Amino acid sequence: MNEQIENAAVEIHDLSVSYDRKPVLWGIDLTIPEGSLVGIVGPNGAGKSTLIKAVMGLIPLNSGYAKIFGKDLDDSRHQVSYVPQRESVDWDFPTSAKEVVLMGRYKKIGLFRRPRKADVDVAMSALESVGMTPFANRQISQLSGGQQQRVFLARALAQQADVYFMDEPFAGVDAATEKAIFNILKEMSTQGKTVIVVHHDLQSVGKYFDWLILLNLRLVASGKTENVFKRELLEEAYGGKLTLLSEVGELIKKEEFPGREK
Amino acid sequence: METLIEFFSFKYPNIKYVLFGSVLLAVSSAIVGCFTFLKKKALVGDVVSHAVLPGICLGYLFSTNTLGLTDKNPIILLLGAFATGWLSIVVIDNIVKKTKLKEDTANGLALSVFFGIGILLMTFIQKQGGSSQSGLDSFLFGKAASLVGEDLIVFAVISVILMIAVLFLFKEFTLISFDTAFATAIGFPVKGLNLALTTLTVLAVVTGIQAVGVVLMAAMLITPAAAARFWTDDLRKMIIIAAVFGAFSGTAGAYISYIAPSMPTGPWIVMILSIIALASFFFSPGKGILFKILKRRRIQKLILEENILKLFFQLGEKGKDFREPRTIDEITHKRAFKLQQLNKGLQTLKRQGYLIDSGKGWKLTEEGFVKGKRVLKLHRLWEVYLTQYLRIAPDHVHDDAERIEHIITPELEKKLEMLLEFPDRDPHESEIPY
Repeated sequence: MNEQIENAAVEIHDLSVSYDRKPVLWGIDLTIPEGSLVGIVGPNGAGKSTLIKAVMGLIPLNSGYAKIFGKDLDDSRHQVSYVPQRESVDWDFPTSAKEVVLMGRYKKIGLFRRPRKADVDVAMSALESVGMTPFANRQISQLSGGQQQRVFLARALAQQADVYFMDEPFAGVDAATEKAIFNILKEMSTQGKTVIVVHHDLQSVGKYFDWLILLNLRLVASGKTENVFKRELLEEAYGGKLTLLSEVGELIKKEEFPGREK
Repeated sequence: METLIEFFSFKYPNIKYVLFGSVLLAVSSAIVGCFTFLKKKALVGDVVSHAVLPGICLGYLFSTNTLGLTDKNPIILLLGAFATGWLSIVVIDNIVKKTKLKEDTANGLALSVFFGIGILLMTFIQKQGGSSQSGLDSFLFGKAASLVGEDLIVFAVISVILMIAVLFLFKEFTLISFDTAFATAIGFPVKGLNLALTTLTVLAVVTGIQAVGVVLMAAMLITPAAAARFWTDDLRKMIIIAAVFGAFSGTAGAYISYIAPSMPTGPWIVMILSIIALASFFFSPGKGILFKILKRRRIQKLILEENILKLFFQLGEKGKDFREPRTIDEITHKRAFKLQQLNKGLQTLKRQGYLIDSGKGWKLTEEGFVKGKRVLKLHRLWEVYLTQYLRIAPDHVHDDAERIEHIITPELEKKLEMLLEFPDRDPHESEIPY
């Protein structure tokens, strides 16, 4: 089950990735239509986060490529936004919510220059759309987990991108915040933005996403949620790892086999 | 006082060199050190400062043996220092990337190997003799007093470079210190920026080494930042505070070595920085230990006072005689207060107008009555909440309520009342007073 479409917002072609030599993604091939709200779903260790990190160029690829609106990442960075996992940064850092959101403007501001008044305006309105205006000047360690997640979301909004990759934006937030965040994502996709979310709660998948990517080291399925969110496909994704695949992966790591032939 | 005026009048050029040299190096290492600190690379400063030693020795050998100079040239020595200091960071990065060894091991390895080679070379030079090698070992422990005008110019140039770089790359350095993945994702040249930051760190170390020596240099980088972090949650202010701490200790160090000529400047700078850091650790508002202790004391006092008022209310519950005087015996019979604490609490409550000493015993004022009632109400409401919403057995809720009753704000109080719909009785069938 792999629905391929023309003029995709995101196209991933034959993408393979290794961590510490061990292959964690094998030959991923998929397309994502513009304006869709996409869930990347799969068991722990399936390579969900790895997939978006690979697309964002944060880890080296063994093979394949990813294109955004038909262009290489380096030519489309201003159209792409990335929201890392909340735990990936130290929230004790001496900075405020507003300053973090302002980081979303850094690409547009460019190197060596300071944020302009207009950038601050964008940051403030991004904070407003996630309901965090009262906390703008709060030091970030004094925010709750859900509020920190909203700050990250606001930073992404401040980027004014077209495609958003989010690594577990619903992790560790309470039900009310989850709903608020989902509404923002929904609103973004209504406005034609493509939002790709790493998610691990199967309960809400059917309700949240209109496009679904099922992953477990390889692509199990990619397509409209109604076509992908099926018992047999879920069983294939969650029904244990492909033993042979995992064994070959371990072997590659042990033998220090090169990722590419050359 | 006289010496202070004499010191700052710069009558002797030597004092001027030592003072400005110390301040410049302390300030520039404090500024760069803020980012080293925030990137959690505190040990890197230590490694680099030890790793510059072989470079200094090689620079010396090069200038005397190859160039045939009779005097050591500070610029060649600094270039050598810069080269090996920088190399040590490259070595660490590669060890972490290419082997299974973790960063702490890589740091330890790089430090000892580079420093070992440095000592080796230094011993060799000293055995070789020569008129100009005498000052070389001052790099080991530093000798700010030996600074001359030429050194000062080099210091000043490097410091200005450092400050301008941090000023122009403030936003970039902040981002790579906070969220490297995001910086990479938006296409910032993270490798280049890291390289720039590393270079600045090495520059700061190289500048400072002559004054405080390889052993103490790490303190110059990290201590001001660590101290400044206690005073602010804003990175800009933190850098400024760290720089001020640096400048102050630089000045103080130079002054101390001036009034007591047997006192070394560099170690005194580090001593004063350490005192500032310790003071910050204890006395800074909000984060300091003293502040936390005082806060805990205040809360304990508040709890005691609220418990006394609550008790007065409870004593009146049976006979509905809430405002009757109570003796100390009656009070301690109902609840085992420590007598000394109880007396203190009673006096405070009297001063605050919640209790009156009637001669026949203590009794509640109207305000005291209201307050005691509220605490007891919160206690019982919380017990209801725990049994209803957390399904905790009624005989297990009391201890928890003893704590929570003191922390609930008026807003939470309202919410609690609404949520539970003003229940009449707590889980132990005691009446809830409104």
